[in-house]
Amino acid sequence: MTQGHSDETLCRRIADRDEAAFDVLVERYQGRAYRLAWSLLRNAEDARDVSQEAFLRVYRTAGRFRGEARFSTWFYRILVNLCLDHRRRGSWWRRLLVRDDGAGDPERAVLERQPAPLADPGETVGRTQLMFRLWAAVDRLSPQQRAALLLHVQEELPTGQIATVLGCTEATVRVHLHRAVGVLRKTVRRD
Amino acid sequence: MTDLGHPDAELTAFATGGLPPAERARVAAHLDDCASCRRTVEESRVVLTALAREIPAPAPPVGRRYRAELRARLQPPTPGRWWARPLPAMVAAGVATAVLLVAVYGLDRRPGELATVEETMLGARLPLLRQYRVIERLDLLEDLDAIRYLDRSGNGGS
Repeated sequence: MTQGHSDETLCRRIADRDEAAFDVLVERYQGRAYRLAWSLLRNAEDARDVSQEAFLRVYRTAGRFRGEARFSTWFYRILVNLCLDHRRRGSWWRRLLVRDDGAGDPERAVLERQPAPLADPGETVGRTQLMFRLWAAVDRLSPQQRAALLLHVQEELPTGQIATVLGCTEATVRVHLHRAVGVLRKTVRRD
Repeated sequence: MTDLGHPDAELTAFATGGLPPAERARVAAHLDDCASCRRTVEESRVVLTALAREIPAPAPPVGRRYRAELRARLQPPTPGRWWARPLPAMVAAGVATAVLLVAVYGLDRRPGELATVEETMLGARLPLLRQYRVIERLDLLEDLDAIRYLDRSGNGGS
């Protein structure tokens, strides 16, 4: 049985072409992988494609995982790099296409982004609009800043682990986060 | 610390408790005396908490379907048809290129020009052709049938 094994053990088994181990790892990470890819790419189809590609890379290159870092760090690194590459490749023609994040339809986006209704309708609208602007500001951050912020906020990774994922120093991650949060603070202040 | 002495880059990490103890103590000491940085830390906390609480994301894909797609992508590509394999495909590409070149250069002729084989054939018979007056009456040397059967037409030398 592979269910109770650590990620690292599963990865070693995948290196030996244990498909059951691969299934368990995919089941364990698919939600997080898809969500992070979607947050970085803001496109459901791309998120699906790129997150699956990340798992394929894990399957093909599991033998290279030396266990020096946690499996999650290694996996996030693969995934984030694929997302950043995807954005770079698609940046020129992507602007021509309609995105499925509701950017062109604020009302739809607001509905999707609203997790739970609050008591006061007026407060709900104001808060929802603020959150919409906040996430729109996140969308406008540089890829590195956005990746750092999402890994921190969404995946709750510490700055040291984010540094490993992004392949930079921890100090650089702090600068990315500081600048990203600075932009978001200004967005809130303008409200 | 920056030139002004504010630990700008550390403030966000401080706000989320992400600093090691020594740095945390240093930033905390700075905050005791700096209202501007205290406000930055407070605003950063508010923004990061709001983002963490309301993360936009579509419903994740159905797990079973997602894994089925992934498994399909994991399978090595099937051998497929013979013409889809690299070598036949390269040969086919070469033949196609040759045909294309022939078509392009073959068609790149002025009206009235003859094909290479026909030119060769006529060139070999030039002394013979000079004997036929009918050729003078041909506007173009395209009427190969007329030339080919000059002997039978009875127009030679007349």
